[in-house]
Amino acid sequence: MPRLARSEWYDLTRDMNWDLTYATEEEVFPELLSNGFGVPTHDWWTWDEPYKITYAEYVHNQAGKDAGLFSVNNVVGRSKIFENLDPGWLAAVTAHYGAIAVAEYQAGIGEARMARFGRAAAWRNMATYGALDETRHGQLQTYFPYQALNKEPRLDWAHKAYHTNEWGIIASRHLFDDMFTANDAVSMAIQLTFTFETGFTNLQFLGMAADAMKIGDIDFGSLIPSIQTDEARHAQQGEPTLKILVAAGKKDIAQALFDKMFWRAWKVFALLTGLSMDYYTPLAHRTHSFKEFMEEFINTQFIDQFRDFGLEPPWYWDRLHNEMSWVHHAYHLGVYFWRPTVWWNPVAGVGPEERAWLEEKYPGWNDSFGTYWDQMGANIRAGHPELTLPETFPVVCNSCQLPVCTPAGYAAGYLDSPLPLQLTVDGRLYTFCSEPCQWVFEQTPEQFAGHTSIIDRLLGGVIQPPTIPGALAYMGLSPEECGQDGTDYDWAHATAPVTAGPAASGAA
Amino acid sequence: MAMFPVQGIVEGDFVVVLVTPDDTDPMTAVAQAIAHHGIGTRVAAQDRPLKVRYQGRILDDDATIAGSGIAPMEVLEVVHA
Repeated sequence: MPRLARSEWYDLTRDMNWDLTYATEEEVFPELLSNGFGVPTHDWWTWDEPYKITYAEYVHNQAGKDAGLFSVNNVVGRSKIFENLDPGWLAAVTAHYGAIAVAEYQAGIGEARMARFGRAAAWRNMATYGALDETRHGQLQTYFPYQALNKEPRLDWAHKAYHTNEWGIIASRHLFDDMFTANDAVSMAIQLTFTFETGFTNLQFLGMAADAMKIGDIDFGSLIPSIQTDEARHAQQGEPTLKILVAAGKKDIAQALFDKMFWRAWKVFALLTGLSMDYYTPLAHRTHSFKEFMEEFINTQFIDQFRDFGLEPPWYWDRLHNEMSWVHHAYHLGVYFWRPTVWWNPVAGVGPEERAWLEEKYPGWNDSFGTYWDQMGANIRAGHPELTLPETFPVVCNSCQLPVCTPAGYAAGYLDSPLPLQLTVDGRLYTFCSEPCQWVFEQTPEQFAGHTSIIDRLLGGVIQPPTIPGALAYMGLSPEECGQDGTDYDWAHATAPVTAGPAASGAA
Repeated sequence: MAMFPVQGIVEGDFVVVLVTPDDTDPMTAVAQAIAHHGIGTRVAAQDRPLKVRYQGRILDDDATIAGSGIAPMEVLEVVHA
């Protein structure tokens, strides 16, 4: 049987476009599902992905990756590796699975949308692999934690989290619905595959995989690169889409799509990765601070790539750099203090050696963020750990849905005011943590105005009773599932106050 | 007399918190209600009286929320005198 060389049939099968005659362009590519931004149809047909693959090659590669991965998982399952993981790393992994696993599955919905509504056949071909990839990632990242449930029941949240109204998940859904679940194919190629995957997650996954191996978590350390190699391939859908928009004179549209999603991704990235890198990863295994990572890999390498297309860093570049020095420290404080509201056991990560590292990486940390930990440590040592637990709720931003931590930026000397921004639209008062968050809202207020934050739900009577226990129940957290200090307050007893040393409250 | 939600910031604290005083509470009580969630928990106590600042001006101790033109979920800062 004659066989054609790959080069003789590949382009025919991956990129067979045709002019529509039985249906209109709008009928086949409705703007809501595939916003062409006025780029002529035939321009889209120049779409050309840099890395090409056939279906047979895809299946072969994926089967090989899965064979290796499940072998590792099987061996690890019979070992004591998991039981010996550092509590900080366990917090990072448990948080990761809950925040990512089902989101990956939802990303499969986004990829499937591009597989149908991408505006070139080659793009739809590539997105088909992307849909298979993301389905695989959703399954892997629910299966691996499922295998360890007998060792850590909290890993149940790998599947459960996205089906709850836990506050961090509300924030994640708010972001990811905008980025892919409810996005059109063209915007998604810029916002999911270019901005988020190329800009943030590819690099983060490489870093996490290296950290996992150094820590001895070979299960996670094998899983993540297996996922990342898929991401690196399907993330390439962004670049050709961006090129076509720019070539068609739509640079402003590409810039606006990027600016919006880069900020939105930054906020959740600071929450998840900022805590993981600067507090949860054991000190001996840290390679970069979160700020160094952002500066080197994202703000330099990725943005250089962005500039190559004639685009510029976003208008809020100064604010982004500003937040890199403080916002994730504030989020970590918030997650720790409101730890019953998360599904993992946060570690404080502020023992004497960790504090010295934080001071080195973030000069002034001890005199700013360190003072809060001094007060909490004093309360714990005085026998009042209840003073390190919440009796009310943090106000959350109506854009990013994360706690409004402007006072931290002000107290640490990075902001001119501790006050949040507020805006009244159609009689409703909205609160924002930053100018870019308000700007995101104001770009498409009709998209966001109807959403209620967890604080809006509390005040609106949705959460009953409107108390901490009522809110925990609303978030799906039973008392056994509520986060607790990951090291049973070891940090407080190991810490000699670095600053003036506050008196413990209630100690008298 | 009714519960009145406001956003509270304790001077030196790191986060804005939800507080629900009564609209007839004097500012001394409002200051205490907000301070309860920050001072002694994350911010060291100081031996100085607390004041409420709204839109940049310090409110009188005996002023009430209802009488100060404050709208629900506006921001009140608690500062040391």
